[in-house]
This record gives sequence, C-alpha cells and structure tokens, in this order.
Amino acid sequence: MRTILQALSLLLFSLFLFFATYKLPDWFPADIYLRLDPLLGLNAVFAAREMIGRALWALVTIGATLLIGRFFCAYACPMGASIDFLDLLLFRKKKRESLKTESSLRKTKYFLLIVFIMAAVTGLSLAFLMDPIALLTRFYTFFIYPLAITLINLFLDVMRPFFKGLGWVSLSHLHFFQPVFYMSAITLLIFGGIVALNLIAPRFWCRYLCPLGAFLSLISPLGLFKRKVSQECNECLKCRKACPMGAIPEDPKTSHLPECIQCRTCVKVCPQNAITFPVSFPIGGEYSGIDFSRRGFIYSLAGGLGAGFLAARSPFTLRQSKLQLIRAPGAIPETEFLRTCIRCGECMKSCLTNTLQPCLWESGFSGLWTPKMDLRLAPCDQNCNVCGKVCPTQAIRSVSIEEKNHAKVGTAVLRKEMCLVWAQNKICLICDEICPYNAIVFRPVEGYRRPVVIASKCNGCGFCEQRCPVLGESAIVVVPDGEIRLKEGSYVKEAKKLQLEFKADPGDDKFILEESGFKIESGKKEEKKSQPQNPKGFL
Amino acid sequence: MAGATLALSGNPPFLHAKEDYDLVVISGEPAAATKKALETLGGISRFVKKGHRVVLKPNMSFARTPEFGATTHPTVVATVAQECIHAGARQVLILDHTLHRAELCLERSGIREACKNISGVHVQAFQERKFFKEIKIPQGKVLDQVEVIKAVLESDVLINIPVAKSHSATGVSLGLKGLMGLIWDRESFHSRININQALSDLATVIKPQLTIIDATRALTSGGPGGPGEVKKPNLIIAGTDPVAVDSYGVTIVPWYGQNFKGRQVEHLLIAHQRGLGNIDTDPLKIYKV
Repeated sequence: MRTILQALSLLLFSLFLFFATYKLPDWFPADIYLRLDPLLGLNAVFAAREMIGRALWALVTIGATLLIGRFFCAYACPMGASIDFLDLLLFRKKKRESLKTESSLRKTKYFLLIVFIMAAVTGLSLAFLMDPIALLTRFYTFFIYPLAITLINLFLDVMRPFFKGLGWVSLSHLHFFQPVFYMSAITLLIFGGIVALNLIAPRFWCRYLCPLGAFLSLISPLGLFKRKVSQECNECLKCRKACPMGAIPEDPKTSHLPECIQCRTCVKVCPQNAITFPVSFPIGGEYSGIDFSRRGFIYSLAGGLGAGFLAARSPFTLRQSKLQLIRAPGAIPETEFLRTCIRCGECMKSCLTNTLQPCLWESGFSGLWTPKMDLRLAPCDQNCNVCGKVCPTQAIRSVSIEEKNHAKVGTAVLRKEMCLVWAQNKICLICDEICPYNAIVFRPVEGYRRPVVIASKCNGCGFCEQRCPVLGESAIVVVPDGEIRLKEGSYVKEAKKLQLEFKADPGDDKFILEESGFKIESGKKEEKKSQPQNPKGFL
Repeated sequence: MAGATLALSGNPPFLHAKEDYDLVVISGEPAAATKKALETLGGISRFVKKGHRVVLKPNMSFARTPEFGATTHPTVVATVAQECIHAGARQVLILDHTLHRAELCLERSGIREACKNISGVHVQAFQERKFFKEIKIPQGKVLDQVEVIKAVLESDVLINIPVAKSHSATGVSLGLKGLMGLIWDRESFHSRININQALSDLATVIKPQLTIIDATRALTSGGPGGPGEVKKPNLIIAGTDPVAVDSYGVTIVPWYGQNFKGRQVEHLLIAHQRGLGNIDTDPLKIYKV
C-alpha cells in the first residue's frame, strides 16, 4: 500500500515536471510539488519579506501534518520514494550497523533547519541546498530529463529503419530536442551522495539531514495517529531493526515519535501483532520532545545569521547588476530575485529553447543555481512564456506573452572589431535576418552597408547573438543594460514610458534602399557581382 | 535516391504534354486560385503519378502566423497536398529545415493544422543533421557538395511552394532561394561564400518539377523573417521553369517600395546565365486570370 502510494507520488512528480514545458496551459500547476513544500515556502517568504501567493499552498501540507502527523516523508515525498526504491535496488542485502552517535546526529537536521530559516531571515535563500523537493527537481531537470531524451532518441534511431520499412512516415522522422545543461555532473554527484549515504543507514538523509523532515517533525506532535505497542510485545526487536527511520529505541514499547513517519513497517514485521497506529488525541507523555542542546541551538542560529551575513557582505552583492548576467524575462529586480528564487530548476526544465542555464559562481554564493540566459547557446523565443508560469515563488513572474515580450532582458551590442561586416567588409546579415523585432538595420558607412542595433527596439531575445556566424564569442552580444525588472505592474506600460517598441515594423529598410547605391540599370553586373557594394541581391 | 530527383531534371517526355502555358498567374482566394493554377497547367497528375512519394517544400521556416507573410499560406499548401493525394500519391511529405524551433514553426505557420486531416500527408521540420545526406555538386562553382534532407533525395516528385518575400541578402526570396530550406549548412552561404552563386550551384542539383509561388501575400520589406510590410497581391504563380516563375514573381509588387525586374535580382540572373531557366518572361506563354 505504502509502496504504491510512493510510486504514485514519484510518478506524479515526474509527470508534473514532464508537463512543465511549452506550451503549458495556464491552469496547470506544473510546480505543485514545490508549492506544497513548506520549507521552500517559508524560505522564500522570509527571505523576500513578503507574502508569496503560491507559497500558501504549503498550508495544505502543514495542515495535513498537524492533523495526521509526519506522513509526508513516508507516503508523499518523491525524494523519500527515490531513496527507498534505490535502497531496495542497491543495498537490500547490505548489513548496516546501528550508529553509535545516533541521537546527536539526529539533531543535525533541526540545526540545519534553523540555519536555513535564519539565513532566510537575513535575506539569503539557502534552503535550496538541502530541500528535498528542490533538490530532486534539480536532479530531474539537469540529469534525468536530458538522459531520458537521449535514450528515447537512441531508441528512435535504432527503430528508424523499421518505421521506414513499415511506411510510418512521422515516426521515422521523429526526434526530440536534446536539452543540455551546465552542472549536470554536480547535480548527479549530490544526488548520488544522498543515495550512497544509505550505505551507513537506511534513509540516512531523512533521518539525519533533511530540513523539510525536521520542519514536519516539529509540527507533527498534534497528529492523530501515533504508534502504540500492546502488552503482547515479546521484545524480539524485529521492529527496531526494520524501522527505516530508526525511530524505535531499545525499549520497543516506546517510540521516538518525532522521528516516526507512520510507514507502519513495524506493524508488518511484528510477529505478535502488538503494534497499532490508533487515533490518539492527547499529546501525552509518550511524545518525546526534541532534545536540542542549547549550545547546538545557538550555534545553528549563529550559523544561519553568519551565512547570511557572509553572503551579503561579498563584493558580488555590490556588483550585482554590473555582472554580465542576463536573467529570464519577467525576473523581478536582482536583489529580490536572489532572495525569492528557490533554485528548483523548474524554469530551466520548462525553457523551450534551452537558453535558461544554472549559474555556478557568476553571481557569487547567493546566486548558486539561479537561472541565467545563455544566449550564445539559444535565444529566448517570443512565443513562449513558460518559465514564469512554472516558477513556484514567482521570482520569474507569470505574465502574458505580450507582457513577457516587453520585459526587456538586455540590449544587443555590436562588437565592431569582430563583426564580419564592420571589420572585414564581408556580406553578412544573419543578425538582421533573424531579429524578430527589426532592431537591426543596415546603414551605409564608408561605402558599405553595415549593421546597427536600434536599442529602443531590442528586447534582448538573443537570436542575433546565437546566430552570429563568427566563431567563438559572438560579434553581437546581449548585455544587461536596459533590462526592465519589475516587481509588479505592467512591462508594456513601462516599455512605453521608456519609449521602447518591440513589434512588427518595416523599420529603416526603405531608407537604406535609397542610400545604399542600388544599381537600377543592369548593364555592368558582371563586375559588380563580386563587390560588396550591392549586398542586397538587386543589381 | 538522388537519381530520382536528378533524372527528372532533364526534359522528361511528359513535360511536352497537352498543356500550352509556360506560366500561370491566377488571382483569387488561396484555395481556389491554387486549384485553378494546377488545372491550367494540366492538372497535378502531370507531375504526380500513382504511388509516387511527393515532397512539398513550403516556407515554414519562421514561427510566424500567416499574416506576417514570412511563411507559405497554409491553405495553399493543404490544397496542393490534397491534389497530390487525389492524383494517387502514396505519401506527401511537407517539409522544411526551419530556422526557428521546429514545433513552433509547424504550429504558428498553421501548416500542420491545415494538413492534419488529409490522410497520407505528413508535415515535418528537420533540424537534425542525421536527416540530411551529402550529395556532390558536379557543376558547382562555390559549392562542391551539399547536405540535403534525405527524404527529398528519396522522393519521386519535389514541388516547391515558396511565399513571396523580400530578403535582406538576395533581394527577394522566392523559389530558388527557398531551396536553401532543404540543406543543412546555410550559415556558410551568408558568411563564407557568395550566396547568389551558391544558390545557382544548389539549383543545379535540386530541381523541383513544379514551382508554385504563394503571392496571396507578399512581404515586401523586412524579409525574410519579418516583421515588415505585407502587401496582398492575391496571386498564385506556377510553372515548371524555376527561374521563369521567380522572375515573374519579382515583377508583381514593388520591393522595398521600388519596382524591379527579374534581371535585377542577382541570383536569378546567375541562374539564367548558367542555363538553369529562362529569366525573360516576355516571350513565354503566360496564362493570366
């Protein structure tokens, strides 16, 4: 029963993530697991210092835990499910000694929780490091999803001759876009590490480290169901050995209730049928409180504050908007963005073109795993606004396509010393050809028609930067200058105020025609042909 | 194989069949005009035989809706596809190597939607090199070889259905320029080699049996991607000589606010000089309604 629920939850998690892509219907909450996570919600609300609508979903989890107890870890958590399934697969036969330092290790997760909450209070979003849902979403985004696509394409390639032979035209040409990400390896290592910890003890992560588990355990004492052992118990200690959470002490008639995730494994293994999970109202003496050491409590408080302080007092903070970093369209102002973003990777998963990539140190410790646009890799498509739709904390705002296209992310700048036309007098017009807004025009300079960017028409989509045929760095790059980052209100209005216009317009092309020396008479075309003065194809 | 396309490039006997016109120019609504154009040319069955595998090459390279004029009108494409099926084609593959992301182009251009209910018709965008195959260009001047979409090489008939639009490198983008949508490496056309010469090289190996210019709308500036000025000539221009069809296409609207003749378009002139078709439309028999 529990395994089925776990598998179901993991499947749901995967499905929701799978659907986080273009073109996501407005009503579909692809980020629901992240919204339901109270740690991410608290983290974002504290760090951002304001209420976040979608974080209110976490109240569902909090309410259910208050009512039932710490059931989430055993039944709903996709990370817990992954750990359990992989444990079954990899370490089933492994003999694991019980840890001597058990009780002090257990406190670690509470201290971590305090560290994360305190860091959030100072304005540093840190919970993403260890929040299981964020961690797993990242793992799926940066590893499982690209891997799955690779495998599917491999399968299609192998089957292609058969599909062709059978005359299945569409299938024989089917191919899925292969996403690629920076930091796939790091993400895999972290996940692998978490699973490997099971070598020491089953659910090592959940027992000792998971800060979400710590939070849920703190609010679980009111829960209705609690483990109860009857007098039938013959102290065979089978339950103690089987408990995945190590929640049964030497006296098996008692329980470490805050550690109990109600998985009922003990009920199953008990030969005496002595264990039940009856509804019990009193908080009662059996509920063994969490014995923080005062020192540990103070250390972790200090640790959280210290981490926040350190992260805020780094040169990165002062350079924030002076870094060459292009955020997604609709990303709120940088300071608020760093505080609100929970680094789940959902936006990067959903990104249609694969331009959204995780940051490593580009904006310091406080910017780890935040999304940036790698426009040399891929542009931002003007028909897509999915990244905002799936952002569980709205660090990237969910806005209409029209609004999103006015959320200017930067401005393209021509590096004349690298441009084929400016530096080498070659005929190249790829940036002009591909620009969806006609923000690049050709002007006659020194006898040649050369590309020029009209900044007020450029919204930084990056098609030019991506397509520029110059090898290595692009000769036309999008810089953050001119970006519009709004916490609220309309991008369209703001763009109007700034006299920007991103839309269909024939632009300056007519002007060029007159000025660029078109040869209307077709007499001497033979000589003219190879000369770059007539690049527009008319003689 | 490549031979199938190449073999028809000569002068297959059926080209001298009953039809009288070198060019047809039909004015009217997209579907009706397209049908009429095919009829006047002697019917699609002149080109498409029973059991043929047909490739239609519209322009659906940009994720733009039809009103931008950057892509072929979906109704024109669907009408031709339907006619091919009626003529007994085994399969009709509508394809392009899109510049924007494939699924967006198929969706926004409206071409996938327009063709979804015609059985035997498949709309595909190709953005992966594995679907291309290298062929030699024996008469190439700037290109020795080129990688072409395999499905085109394996087809029996190729029908080119470009939209009429301006182009910031080649002046206009009609049939010959549209063939660039069948090859893998387009970047070098713009950066390393002379695009006008390269287009002729390409035209020596990829020879559509029929070219149908969709001039129901014409993007007369801001091409090839737009946005730009969209005029509505409401015309379908069709013929078997790719240079003649293009050359006529140049004259139907002013480009960038100015009237041009086919001879003023460099890549067409080069193609003409290399004997790939006739750029002078005056002596041709043109059916015009």
